[in-house]
Amino acid sequence: MRVAGAKKYWVVFKISWQKELEYRFNFLLARLRSVLVMLLLTFVWLALTKKSGRFAGYSQAELVTYVFGINVLRSVIFGAQSRQVAADINEGMLSAYLTKPVNYLFQTFSAEFAQRTLYAVTALGEVLLFFFLLKVELLVQRDPTVLTLFALSVALAAMLYFFLSYAVSLLAFWSREALGPKFLFDWVLEFASGAYFPLDILAPALFAVFALLPFALVMYLPMEIYLGRADLNAALRGIALQAVWIALFGPAVLWIWRRGLRKYTGEGM
Amino acid sequence: MITTALIRKYVRIWRQLSRLAIGSYLSNRIDSAAYLAGKLVRFGFFLLLIVSLFSFTDTLAGYTKYEVILFFLTFNLIDVLSQALFRGIYAFRFDIQRGNFDFVLSKPMSPLFYSLSRMTDILDIIFLVPIIGLIVTVMGRLPVPPGPVQVLHYALLVLAGMTVVLGIHIITAGITIWKLESENAIWLYREAMTLGRFPPEIYSPAVRAVFTFVLPVILAVAFPAKAALRLLDWKGTLFVLCYAAAFFGCSLLLWRASLKAYSSASS
Repeated sequence: MRVAGAKKYWVVFKISWQKELEYRFNFLLARLRSVLVMLLLTFVWLALTKKSGRFAGYSQAELVTYVFGINVLRSVIFGAQSRQVAADINEGMLSAYLTKPVNYLFQTFSAEFAQRTLYAVTALGEVLLFFFLLKVELLVQRDPTVLTLFALSVALAAMLYFFLSYAVSLLAFWSREALGPKFLFDWVLEFASGAYFPLDILAPALFAVFALLPFALVMYLPMEIYLGRADLNAALRGIALQAVWIALFGPAVLWIWRRGLRKYTGEGM
Repeated sequence: MITTALIRKYVRIWRQLSRLAIGSYLSNRIDSAAYLAGKLVRFGFFLLLIVSLFSFTDTLAGYTKYEVILFFLTFNLIDVLSQALFRGIYAFRFDIQRGNFDFVLSKPMSPLFYSLSRMTDILDIIFLVPIIGLIVTVMGRLPVPPGPVQVLHYALLVLAGMTVVLGIHIITAGITIWKLESENAIWLYREAMTLGRFPPEIYSPAVRAVFTFVLPVILAVAFPAKAALRLLDWKGTLFVLCYAAAFFGCSLLLWRASLKAYSSASS
């Protein structure tokens, strides 16, 4: 992409950023929602580790770090823009974008990236605030190799989530009822990705099933790398798997998009 | 004054609104099936989490597996029942933002009743069947199964919990009139409700106090389970009933004040 082309998406980023901050009260309420999820899970793990300091092979510090880390990763990885894609297609609003000299996928990604950046900064603040308020022990990773692998796995997880979520939203080209399947997908992804609890606390057979799915690479893998529970081989294998899934889903999304455009009727305009 | 004729009128309205809502759900079968499947997935995964936790421990905050499951199911009962009956409040923001609330005000009925109940969620009513079935099963497996008195006690406190939850829905509607961009207010309540998935003893005293008295979700969803477990005496019950009534009264006062502040987006 040329510099002039990239500028357009920088403008989309800035507009989306301003839009997020336009309704500050609503933004505050959205963040409070996120804090409540973090509080609930933190207290569950604190209660379970109260006696021995450990639970299911995790120390208290590891479990609390997992919950706090997930709060930040949710903001970095999960976005809401792809939901808008389904609405744009179903309501015919996509026509307005098709006439513009922008790539809809890049435009959506730029808008989502602004939202993710803003939420990630706020989530970091929340983690710091609750670290002091709850006086909990957190595991601070200092190993540069682990931190590099963690950063790489987070970046790939964000891309993987975007492609997965975008693909489901593109169902809207074939059906006016795409929001229901997206709701179902979101909940399967939330749990199967490890956004609520480390997946290996499940029964071994169930964990083996979840580990086969790409969802586990979205949240569980980056956090296991950060906690140092995944050794170098496991981390590299996980990152390679992320790259494979992206290589599969990226072209698939483009293919679905092209096929979908042929079906698009601009209904509602 | 509430008369029999008035109650009949509102029952008729609710029935008609529900018929329309059911028609809407049936005309979007894929969406409806996927939403119902999504709710079952969410419910199933949390249940799976609780069961998985108990493969590593015998108790959580002093409660056994089936006692913790009862807290979880009671949270679901009240949460799903409120979504089934008061789903209309989720669309209230659009009415306010687009000025459609003007038409609601001109109808010969309570605008609050219409706004709350205009979209009875048939999917949640279907979802109530397995939840109630599981509550009956789990109650039978408790270390000390509840007798008829405890079951009545439980039902009474579920009713009190629903009154509190109705009050919270009314407050969020009031806030929407004051602050147009408060889309997340109802979702904040939904997230707060999830604190009732687990026994309140796991939270710190400060968190417990906030969610018992300020945003009384613990009072609404955890106290009925405590009643079934014989952990709530008559003083506690009286307190819950009085607090629920007072909270509901305050929410109505806020609603009236909000109505006076309504300035119609379309005019």
